[in-house]
Amino acid sequence: MFVGRSLEKVDAAAKVAGRAAFAYDLKMEEMLFACIFRSERPHARIGQIDTREAISLPGVVSILSAKDIPGKNLFGAIRKDQPFLADRAVRYRGEPILVVVARNEEVARRACGLIKVSYEEIPPILSPADAASSAFLLHQDGNLLSYRRVRKGDVAKGFSEADVIVEHTYSTHWIDHAFLETEAGIGYLDERGRVAIESSTQNVHYKRAEAARLLGIPEERVRVIQATTGGGFGGKLDVTVEGFLALAVHHLRRPVLMRYTREESFLANTKRHPLHIEYKTGARKDGTLTAVKVNVIGDTGAYASYGETVCLRTAVHATGPYEVPHVYADSRMFYTNNPPSGAMRGFGIPQLAFAHEAQLDEIASSLSLDPLDIRMKNCLKKGSLTATSQALSASAGLLETLKQIEPFWRLRQKKHPGSGFGLGCMYYGIGNTAMPNPAGAQAELAEHGRIILHTGACDIGQGSDTALLQILFDALGMEPRHVILDRGDTASSQDAGSTSASRQTYISGRAVYEAGRKMRQFLEQQGYPEGKDLREIYRVAKGQQPLCFDGFFDPPTTRLDKETGRGIPYATYGFATHMTEVQVEEATGTCRVKKVRASHDVGKGINPALIQGQIHGGISMGIGFALLEEFIPGETASFDSYHLPTSMDMPRIEVMLVEDLEPTGPYGAKGVGEPALIPQAASIVNAIRDAVQVNVYELPCDVERLKILLERKEKR
Amino acid sequence: MLPRFSSLKAKTKKEAVTALAEGEEVTLVAGGTDLLVRMKRGESHHHLIDITSIEELQGVVAEGSRIRIGAATTHSRVSTDPLIRESARSLGEAASGIGSPQIRNMGTIGGNLANASPCAESIAPLLVHDALLTIESAEGERVEALAQFITAPYRTTLTGREMLSLIRIERLEGYREGYRRVAKRAAWAVSRLGIAWAIKEAEDRFLDVRLAVGSCTPRPFRPRSAEALLNGRRREKWLVEEAVKLCLEEIRQISGERPSFIYKLPVIRDLLRTILGGG
Repeated sequence: MFVGRSLEKVDAAAKVAGRAAFAYDLKMEEMLFACIFRSERPHARIGQIDTREAISLPGVVSILSAKDIPGKNLFGAIRKDQPFLADRAVRYRGEPILVVVARNEEVARRACGLIKVSYEEIPPILSPADAASSAFLLHQDGNLLSYRRVRKGDVAKGFSEADVIVEHTYSTHWIDHAFLETEAGIGYLDERGRVAIESSTQNVHYKRAEAARLLGIPEERVRVIQATTGGGFGGKLDVTVEGFLALAVHHLRRPVLMRYTREESFLANTKRHPLHIEYKTGARKDGTLTAVKVNVIGDTGAYASYGETVCLRTAVHATGPYEVPHVYADSRMFYTNNPPSGAMRGFGIPQLAFAHEAQLDEIASSLSLDPLDIRMKNCLKKGSLTATSQALSASAGLLETLKQIEPFWRLRQKKHPGSGFGLGCMYYGIGNTAMPNPAGAQAELAEHGRIILHTGACDIGQGSDTALLQILFDALGMEPRHVILDRGDTASSQDAGSTSASRQTYISGRAVYEAGRKMRQFLEQQGYPEGKDLREIYRVAKGQQPLCFDGFFDPPTTRLDKETGRGIPYATYGFATHMTEVQVEEATGTCRVKKVRASHDVGKGINPALIQGQIHGGISMGIGFALLEEFIPGETASFDSYHLPTSMDMPRIEVMLVEDLEPTGPYGAKGVGEPALIPQAASIVNAIRDAVQVNVYELPCDVERLKILLERKEKR
Repeated sequence: MLPRFSSLKAKTKKEAVTALAEGEEVTLVAGGTDLLVRMKRGESHHHLIDITSIEELQGVVAEGSRIRIGAATTHSRVSTDPLIRESARSLGEAASGIGSPQIRNMGTIGGNLANASPCAESIAPLLVHDALLTIESAEGERVEALAQFITAPYRTTLTGREMLSLIRIERLEGYREGYRRVAKRAAWAVSRLGIAWAIKEAEDRFLDVRLAVGSCTPRPFRPRSAEALLNGRRREKWLVEEAVKLCLEEIRQISGERPSFIYKLPVIRDLLRTILGGG
């Protein structure tokens, strides 16, 4: 058995030794470099574009504009509303206008600096409130991108049954993904004349479709390959460099390389959605929740990106991981002239968890209940009805995670003044919401006598290559030496969907399992168990039947009712509890996270070491979200003012796993990529309340905000 | 991308000051951890002279009641030097919190002063130690107190022909001394505030109180009125409160009201209460 063992990551040695080829390492002969001229205004009509000086700079090869796009100049993961290159107007600062191609990076960037654009400024819309009231429509369907509802029971009745009602407004800010490797890629014509792009990405088939639309050619004429990718967190789901590379290669028929600088990445990349969350919770004296009313207002910025996903997810997850009989959740997402917000680890749920967990602790405190007890009392479990009235039939181990934390919670001791403990719980739907999101995978017996796994699932560092191979080894009943991985090439793999929504281990994993079982059955018929050699089986069977077996999985979900949100948005959910210890220094407002215990129901831990890695990373990101990171449009330009946690900010971490097997998952597995992050900020905020008795309603709670809260407390 | 420039590694002080005297648009590099960032932003410096290899500008040595610190001594060296640990503890603590280990290995104390950022970590402890700076040029040398050397944020009295070569500070024996920085994260962040102190006391009586506040006013400063109030008096709660009040008033006199003061002044108040209260 390989499932359940902490096998070494298959890409570890190459990365440690520096052999792994990231996109910027893929240099080719006769290669050109492209960079982007971007809007200097948040909202304007484009007047004159003067490129004369730039084009006459020696070494500049071409300057491409929207007019040079042969196909459709619109892309978008869900709604195609975003131009690759702005044509008549710009809607955010940093929006691409021109692609400048030159013989090297230095010339390309110098040329960019010589371009002059005249703008006719339009007053920018800078908040959802402005967007709602403005007569100016940023897009033809209006400024409201999306409005989703979830209704369950009778919320008025629920609040009338409550002995205590807590109501607050929470707000969060923009967050940058800040992946280690900035956006990068190389485009070229491959040996079959296809436009080929190797890039740092979380999905290849989607990128191929967008590039083909842009060029107005069939998808078969485009090939997208995932280069070794240095992190994504959702920021490499949208098209980044791929469209520009396709356009440049199409026109110039030469290899073209791109890489964003860090400053450009801050300017250009999508962000975590800032959310404004009005939250009202009612409970009986014994802590039983009776009603939840939530109103979420989000800012998706200039383009839709994943705004609709965040809008829907926050409505569906509105109650948090608790069974609430009466629910009324509204979620709206508005267009503005702020930077586009997109997918980022958790799709709005880390923001939401901050609110529902703070609410629960306030309820507990006003009823003199223990925060752990109130969670145990209300937590979703097998047989519970979620807010969308989905009955949980299996793999719902939140209570077990709470029980794993329980002994540490009951025995907690504040060692110093300013020390505090907090809990954060979460549940998270694995895979895309209420829509098909299938993955294919293939196992092929090759001439050299090995099994090749063809998968379109991108490993962005999280470890899907390793996890999928472990699943295949067991499905085949074979040792690793018999298997080769072919990953992330549209020319040789089926669409596995994006590496997002914590879905690859669960969905691609199941597809890989299916393909592996079919191959195993075939090999058994061919006499492999009796000792027949794989090369021999290949020689005998070749020509008589296909030696490539398809696996496929699409988790069973339903559409949601438009008015009530009723339905089955996800086939399965991850559950987790984090317990966090902080130390707050009241004099300076400094909060240090000392220790985190994280318990996660992952269904089945395919590779416990990789899960631990995900959770450590999630905790670090949660510390940044809670205490440090804040992107301010028009101000934040680099790491100079954007504070990611360093190793010095990291606590001691203890990871515990609950394995409540998921019947539809491969060997019972679900996903953990986003669950690792979601409860962390919430548990920090609750620990701060425990430490110094202040309520935090706005993130990040950095030294300044916390000190100001402490000052207000003193004055009260 | 960096603009084009020429560079020279000077081996002696003479070589450096001669190049300054004879060249046009010459910039000294004393670690370059700030200069590099500015050049990446497009600031042009055509001729760079790296002075970090000049032996005469290195090291920490005792000189009677003073300590001599070569201007090109790295923050790493300052933060670990035994003499500084013993007789200028606040300076060592301040240097140990600058940037990251990589930055401390490159950046120098002289570079920190010549850059004259309001948040420069080494200024406050050097003010506490009444630092005197030696400034050299082809014409000769001059000595200036640190408080006069920095004239405004990022401005000093250095002319384009001069080089800061030596920092001399007072050894403080029998003082309770320290440095406290406040920053957004545990490491690798520009300080939002820094307070240096050296306090000599006997039987609950303040004999010599030296305080300096950095990252708050355009130039780090010593709150002289608060120091004067405390010196010679017995430590009592009202006295500490009065001194804190004087210090905050002095800050407001220097800077007027600033948006950041809603955070900074309460922090200074609370830190000073602890420092002066003997904690």
